[in-house]
Amino acid sequence: MPAAIEVRGLCKQFGTVKAVVDLDFEVSSGRVTGFLGPNGSGKTTTLRILLGLVSSNAGVATFNGRRYLDLDDPVHHVGSVLEATSFHPTRRAEDHLKTVALAAGIPAGRVAETLELVGLSDVARRRVGKFSLGMRQRLQLATALLGDPEVLILDEPSNGLDPQGIQWLRSFIRHQASLGHAVLVSSHLLAEMEETVDDVVIVSQGRLVLQTTLLDLANRSGSSSGLRIRSPELDRLGSLLEGIPVAYRQVASDTLVIDRATPEWFGPFAAKNQIVLYEVTHERSSLEDVFLDLTQGYEAPVPGAPA
Amino acid sequence: MIASIRSEWLKLRTTAVPWVLAVIAAAVTGLLIVTVFVNGGRGPAGGPGGGPDQRLGTGAVLHTTQQLRNLAGAGISADLFALLLGVLCVTTEFRHKTVTLSLLVNPHRPRMVAAKIVTTALLSIVLAVILLAVTVTGGGIALSAQGGSFTNLLHQVPAVAPGMIVVFALFGVLGVGVGSLITNQVAALIVCLGWFLIVEQIIQGIWNGTTRWLPTGAAAAAANVTRGRGVHVALFNWWEGSLLMLAYGLAFAFLGSAILMRRDVT
Ligand SMILES: Nc1ncnc2c1ncn2[C@@H]1O[C@H](COP(=O)(O)OP(=O)(O)OP(=O)(O)O)[C@@H](O)[C@H]1O
Ligand SMILES: [Mg+2]
Repeated sequence: MPAAIEVRGLCKQFGTVKAVVDLDFEVSSGRVTGFLGPNGSGKTTTLRILLGLVSSNAGVATFNGRRYLDLDDPVHHVGSVLEATSFHPTRRAEDHLKTVALAAGIPAGRVAETLELVGLSDVARRRVGKFSLGMRQRLQLATALLGDPEVLILDEPSNGLDPQGIQWLRSFIRHQASLGHAVLVSSHLLAEMEETVDDVVIVSQGRLVLQTTLLDLANRSGSSSGLRIRSPELDRLGSLLEGIPVAYRQVASDTLVIDRATPEWFGPFAAKNQIVLYEVTHERSSLEDVFLDLTQGYEAPVPGAPA
Repeated sequence: MIASIRSEWLKLRTTAVPWVLAVIAAAVTGLLIVTVFVNGGRGPAGGPGGGPDQRLGTGAVLHTTQQLRNLAGAGISADLFALLLGVLCVTTEFRHKTVTLSLLVNPHRPRMVAAKIVTTALLSIVLAVILLAVTVTGGGIALSAQGGSFTNLLHQVPAVAPGMIVVFALFGVLGVGVGSLITNQVAALIVCLGWFLIVEQIIQGIWNGTTRWLPTGAAAAAANVTRGRGVHVALFNWWEGSLLMLAYGLAFAFLGSAILMRRDVT
């Protein structure tokens, strides 16, 4: 059975800019997939190609094996929230949804239903031009949900949402996955997605860096933890460490870091050797550090930064 | 298709576009009625299909058939508003990026253009009818005040209405065609107004005899469905003119769709 979303060998070039380079990944039903990468890494471009808005130079992007353009009733299969807001400012929220409902043959009652779902019922008759960023984002979500699609594509959906909004979005996304729907959510922050996603697709400069499960990513971060030790007896500690197979490095005149060590091992070791300690810190690298590590070196140069 | 047309109409009517255009077109028509009276029944200056000069003394009552036809059909001079309606129907979507959503709902781009063509043509016909109502009411009141016959004016409506309806619908189609080719709103408006107000005059000035081939000439010919606007030897007959107008509109729409197919919507 084809994957809910499948991207194979996708390439896109804008003039001289290679926005997407030979990208491959899959998204499964019933799971939330985080599409992660720094600014300008080609996330939005990839999603727009998936949705038939941007043409690709090579490769395919399909939903259950069919291109978006070939879907009979696209909004009934795929709901999308895209980055650039597309609202007419004088149009009322309700009418905005009705334009889609009319064209897609969705019953009018569904409009009020989705407004309720995203918490916009009270402002249904207000003009979208007067909406805050977060309200627009909710309206975009309502638009995506109109056709009750089994695939959701969300490009940075938490943009402009307040903490409650983000919390609400998380549970919303989890709920969608629990219904068996496939959800692809882009973000440039892994931290924001940690509690939401099952799988991650990490891209940088348009290329796939890694596709894996969040669990696997978490294991990678656990394995790269270390101990930071401040002591007046660094010389003696250093010579003791030479005798055992651990990697360590001195980072300040009174501080060294031992890679992949745990306090459970180091505590007894220090006691046995009677080393004076001022401070021991267990440093776990966070998922965010792993993410930064993985996308490092690929990162686009920051404008104005010294070369 | 009906679903798409209803959606297009909802999109349009929830913007200021159709309302502002209708109000200005009605105001322009009102001014033209005044002109007809001041000129003593001569067709509005510059308007396509202006009738032969039948000038009477200012203030004389309009009574000949041609004079009354010119009055009843004064709204035809506002035909460019149908063109603007078509242009704005497309370019407003690009300006506010709502085209992204429209394409998500209906990813088949030529079909989107087709829906806009049909919707705009229908609305342009409605605009023509509104302007007819404005001329009949406004002109009728003025005529009655001068002691003329309102009934005689009413009798001229069947003579001018078909021409107006055809011309407005065709200008609507042309507008959508131009808008889908030039999606930038400001650029499209400048090109349209520049063409009809300046470029065509220059072309006609340089090459005499091109008039019948230009959109304005074709529209003027199309307006003569019932020979209601007088016969112009320099122009095609009404159905030739209509076909030419339609050809212009569809050519732009095809070209626009073809380019739209390849355009990245970002
Ligand atoms: N229409 C376009 N014309 C030219 N270049 C473009 C266009 N759209 C995107 N790009 C370029 O393609 C690259 C990828 O952009 P894209 O918007 O896909 O990144 P992103 O991962 O979504 O970034 P962000 O996290 O900032 O949203 C960038 O270098 C961008 O400048
Ligand atoms: Mg983006």
